[in-house]
Amino acid sequence: MRYRHSLIGPIVFAATVITVSAQPVAKTATASKAWKQPMTSWGDPDLQGVWPSTSMLQTPMERDPKLGTRAALTDEEVAQKAARDKQFHQLETGNGKGFVPLAAGWFDYGQANRQASLVVDPPDGRIPTLTAEAQAREAARKKHWNEKKDSPDTWMDLTTWDRCITLGPVGSVMPFAYNNGQQIVQGPGYVVFRNEMIHEARVIPLDGRPHASPEIRSWMGDSRGHWEGKTLVVDTTNFNGQVFIGSQGGGFGDSGAVATDQLHLVERFTRVADNVINYQVTIEDPQTWTKPWTIAMPLRREADYDYIYEYACHEGNIFMHDALAGARAEEKKAAAAAQKGAN
Amino acid sequence: MSAHLLRTLSSSFLIILCLGHNPASGQAAAPKIPRMADRKPDLNGIWESLSTANWDLQDHSAYAGPMWEMGAIAAVPAGQGIVEGGLIPYLPASAEKRKQNFANRRSADPEAKCYLPGIPRAAYLPYPFQIVQSNKDMLFIYQYATASRQVNMGKPREVGADSWMGMSNGHWEGDTLVVDVTGLNGKAWLDRAGDFSSDGLHVVERYTLTDQDHVAYEATLEDPKIFARPWKIHLTLYRRVEKGFQLLEFKCIPFAEELLYGEFRKKTGK
Repeated sequence: MRYRHSLIGPIVFAATVITVSAQPVAKTATASKAWKQPMTSWGDPDLQGVWPSTSMLQTPMERDPKLGTRAALTDEEVAQKAARDKQFHQLETGNGKGFVPLAAGWFDYGQANRQASLVVDPPDGRIPTLTAEAQAREAARKKHWNEKKDSPDTWMDLTTWDRCITLGPVGSVMPFAYNNGQQIVQGPGYVVFRNEMIHEARVIPLDGRPHASPEIRSWMGDSRGHWEGKTLVVDTTNFNGQVFIGSQGGGFGDSGAVATDQLHLVERFTRVADNVINYQVTIEDPQTWTKPWTIAMPLRREADYDYIYEYACHEGNIFMHDALAGARAEEKKAAAAAQKGAN
Repeated sequence: MSAHLLRTLSSSFLIILCLGHNPASGQAAAPKIPRMADRKPDLNGIWESLSTANWDLQDHSAYAGPMWEMGAIAAVPAGQGIVEGGLIPYLPASAEKRKQNFANRRSADPEAKCYLPGIPRAAYLPYPFQIVQSNKDMLFIYQYATASRQVNMGKPREVGADSWMGMSNGHWEGDTLVVDVTGLNGKAWLDRAGDFSSDGLHVVERYTLTDQDHVAYEATLEDPKIFARPWKIHLTLYRRVEKGFQLLEFKCIPFAEELLYGEFRKKTGK
């Protein structure tokens, strides 16, 4: 089962600004001296396991402009978030007066923490300005979306997420209300980065081979990895020009845009503790953003989140049928009413 | 000396020659297979079946495809079946359902809809798949529909809810990887000819490297709702040995949307 983001948007927005507990955590963890990086039997740093992005759910993609270049929240700000969250959590789980909302027990919440935004560069924590070309492109796309989302002519009027195709390599990692599992499996010469959201599995060769031919394009891109010390660095190109990157949930957030086929990602995975991998991605597409920008966050292992269950999004996608069939039914009804009026 | 005797003698001589050349004869020396640091067989690699099983698991002649518009391109190549004993032991009602599936296969086959392939079909789809074998669990990544599944090599996991790809618990029996697959929802078909199962399906797969580049694959299918008895399939998985060969993306949803939702597309023009 899948909740559509267009239905739960307001709730999710609330979830991103409200927190669950006042337990503060550092923006990015630093390696403790006592902890030793485990290695695989063939000698690579061992990053294997399930590393959900859930804990960062309370951190918005972009920083509140009031904070300027201040990247860390104060104790007081974290406590305020926690207080707001307490109210929200009660709302979500029922208030003891018989009110149990739709999503009770479904959503992830994350953890209050000091990080003021997932965007860490530029220093103001805001996604850089779109190029003039991208602004025109996005305006056309959003106009189309705003006019068509409630009565789509075809599936092409809905997002690639509504269609269960993908959230792309960045969107699949971003913390959201559900399906935040991120798994790493390694074999000699390969790392696989597997995302719960719409079951992605990027197989990343480590043997230094060049990228695939530029004629071969895809939604998740073509990834090549190498080790820089204990850090896995992954370079990804060959995108198909249809991948949305932006605010959590992917789709039509004000801060997001569809990247062109010139998109280039560099991701860095550094395990800094038994249960923490620092994840970082730098996003570069000169035809879309005026400068490169970087998202960083810790991915934290959770004791009871050690297996990724299947998310058969497309197979259970009744939304597509209902949205399209509903739009046609509305049109038929309107046509009949017009006919009646004319007679 | 008669011609017959000559033939017999010369063929015996040939056999002796062959034996003399084959160090593996007499006592069976184990074939040389790649191994991990812990001496377990190393299944890492990209594999693909070359059988016609995805068209039809059973023996079949060539026949026309469900779309005449595509002519010979959509036709089904003749193939030798991979079912042990030749026939799938359907219960009578299931045999009837299989016929209906075949008649409706153009749009009813979950592969046409880009649905997850299920097990065992994932093993013999006409797309490569990659095994990433770690020192912990294994991951099977299929090019088709970006499907993947974890094979748990530690303590077996319990099934949560039924799913398309099921819950895979693996263990080694000598040099054979045995994967016990439960929790299958049975919605995936077994081939394009309408062979099918139900949510009662239980599959046990066996992967055995026979040399550097070949895996003998066997699966036992048990589903008392559909089949009269458990039955087996056998096929060979071939390593993709081309230099630089890699899995590419086959996200097929955009190719299936007209089939799935086309009737609800807004009709434009007169």
